[in-house]
Amino acid sequence: MSAVSCLGTNLGEIASSLLTPPRIGAVQNFEFHSLPASQPCFPVRDFDPEAILGKKGLRTKDRATKLLLSALELGFKSQFESASDESRPGLSIGTAFGSVSSIGDFLSDAIVNGSHNVNPQAFANTVINSPTSNANIRYASRILSSTVSTSFNAGLDALAYAVMFLRQGHARCLIAGGLEEISYYACTGLAATGLLSPFGSLLPFSREAAGTLPGEGCAVFCVETEASAQERGATVIAEIAGIASCFDPKRGPLGYDPDGHGARHAMKQACVNAGIPPEEIGFVAASANGVAAADDMEALALSDLFPKIPIAAYKSKTGECMGASPCLSMACALADMKAGRISGLGSAYPLRRDVNLVFESIPVASKQYALVNAFSCDGYCGSIVLKNRT
Amino acid sequence: MKKDRVVVTGLGVVSPIGTGADAFWNAACKGVNGIAPITAFDTAGFRTSVGGEVKGFSPEAYLSPDQISSMGRSSQLAASAAKMALAQAGIDITQQDPYRVGVSLGTTMGEPQILEQGIEMIYRARNSASGLPADLPAKYPCGVISANVARSIGACGPVIMIPTACAAGNYAIGYAFDLISTGDADLVVAGGSDPISKIAFTGFNRLLATAKELCRPFDKNRDGMCVGEGAGALALESLTHATNRGATILAEVLGYGLGCDAFKMTIPDPSGSGGILALQRALDNAHLSPDQVDYISAHGTGTEENDKTETLIIKAVFGQKARSIPVSSIKSMIGHTMGAASAIEAVACVLMIDRGVILPTINYTEPDPECDLDYVPNSARNAAISVAVSNAYAFGGNNSTLVLGKFGG
Repeated sequence: MSAVSCLGTNLGEIASSLLTPPRIGAVQNFEFHSLPASQPCFPVRDFDPEAILGKKGLRTKDRATKLLLSALELGFKSQFESASDESRPGLSIGTAFGSVSSIGDFLSDAIVNGSHNVNPQAFANTVINSPTSNANIRYASRILSSTVSTSFNAGLDALAYAVMFLRQGHARCLIAGGLEEISYYACTGLAATGLLSPFGSLLPFSREAAGTLPGEGCAVFCVETEASAQERGATVIAEIAGIASCFDPKRGPLGYDPDGHGARHAMKQACVNAGIPPEEIGFVAASANGVAAADDMEALALSDLFPKIPIAAYKSKTGECMGASPCLSMACALADMKAGRISGLGSAYPLRRDVNLVFESIPVASKQYALVNAFSCDGYCGSIVLKNRT
Repeated sequence: MKKDRVVVTGLGVVSPIGTGADAFWNAACKGVNGIAPITAFDTAGFRTSVGGEVKGFSPEAYLSPDQISSMGRSSQLAASAAKMALAQAGIDITQQDPYRVGVSLGTTMGEPQILEQGIEMIYRARNSASGLPADLPAKYPCGVISANVARSIGACGPVIMIPTACAAGNYAIGYAFDLISTGDADLVVAGGSDPISKIAFTGFNRLLATAKELCRPFDKNRDGMCVGEGAGALALESLTHATNRGATILAEVLGYGLGCDAFKMTIPDPSGSGGILALQRALDNAHLSPDQVDYISAHGTGTEENDKTETLIIKAVFGQKARSIPVSSIKSMIGHTMGAASAIEAVACVLMIDRGVILPTINYTEPDPECDLDYVPNSARNAAISVAVSNAYAFGGNNSTLVLGKFGG
């Protein structure tokens, strides 16, 4: 596992960061646009891609691409380099907005300077799959270069895509995960849609929940068949015991189904696919992001299926990282599992519904499984059952 | 771990030469040229002013006014094609378990017109976004296209958008194939869509990759591709599901393969390495040998690099047989519809298999010594096709091949 996030780059760093208060920063200026006021967010602070990747070839790459390349370089460079041409892992990367800053800046450039004067080199970054493709070229993978874009569920669906690719025998080892940058265009869109908090705080399931805060980052995992891991002598961190995606067509406030049919189905089906009853789940990493409609929907579904199980809400520490969120939540859940605890949010606050939200860190129950949720305003619903293997 | 065969029971297409499978087919058999002056935006000063626009598209035939107003053009194209496919398949989703019905789509640009509209508004307002309509930004992220299609047809199963540029349709059909064959879904509407895009038009012009007047794949005098738009959709279902409901089976999806160049973002590997891998893997996945292939639907964009490389790929995989396999590019008629291209080409392959006619490569006047295969020049040809392969290549060196076959029971 590897990450570039506001919590760190590996499970150890993330485990430590989860015990510290949220590191909320702010952004105002972008290359072509400025926001009217500073936007509170969860940026990857002190991100220095040149220090990780070297200078060569970075000039034309956007931030999203640099985040992905850096996560791959930090976690998997040696694996790429030591693998043969045929066995170098392929890539399945989820993102909600992809290279939107490159696309938007290309358009802005055309408006400001004229369509005939835009940099043709910049055009290559305007396809949504450019971060994944750039990474695929850098690491010379011949097996797979796939991008998945299912709103804030993209990272989870990229994992589902990778799991399917492995199940069907198309490959034995892949790198899969989620990616998102904080961009002017995403911030503007989220603000106009009414998803952002006006108070500069992100309080999942809070009675005062008024919106979310944007975050960014990349979390990627090496996913492979058991046989491949054994042959490589790899240390197995966890098993994707079950994964399920479905779609909820009902649109309530801000796009979320107030009845939570899709959320409930995704959680149930993930457990069915894992071959376990819901009671075997030790804790749930919630999708909750401080948007009241989203949190209400999830709380309702959780109260039906997991009425007493501890609920972690990692987005209070990462922000809403959109397509990267499910994989960052999965990284946090793994970090907690390895640390033998469920990290709390810190100071308690009144909740909207009866959710067993963990405020003060508690030891993880002696159960092997955790459930990671991802629910989007577009109707995408997904859940992963993780089995602790170490 | 394949569990079931995957068959095609319905087709939907929106293209510059016709909307609906029959209109598209009739025009394509006649070799109609769908390339014309672009009307969606000002093309003054560019090296070309033509493209493959869908003229007179009326989503009202397939979608309600509320649905139309909530969607960008890419979603409208995709949802219309999806509804056509389900109508032909004779499927009433309300009679299905909705959690067993999925959607798998691809796109290159997503909903670029929404972003173009938003950025224009911001600039007109002197860099202020305060006047943006609240419902505009939510129409942009490309994941809304597959969500809109799922919502419009009532699908609640696995729904995915795979934006792998100009190979996206094949990627999406391939994933649908896997979902059904493993038993994760009974029915998946698979395909791709892209609207005419100022970004793509500007970018390809700046790369000097656009044709001035006509798209002439494999012709010695070809001068580039034509940016187009459209959507293609296939109703795919398990053989068991199709048989149980007595469906008419149009063709079978036999397999697919992916392969990466790992070379450059905008230029294919001149050795064709990724395309060769994709084609070989597709045939392996379908358990077929090269000598069982009757027809190749080419990526065939009409650019110097693509057509030479693709010819080389076909020769590398098929050897001596390459010269006797008909190869054609319908992009000569409809232009390059980006993420829709391989989906529309899959629709065309199913029609060719079903109706025993090979569609032509039009605008072909002078052979290129470096492109020396049978490109089915200018006229459709009667021929029985048992196995067709369809190539699609993309920015970033993302290559794909889909294998479709006549259903033999």
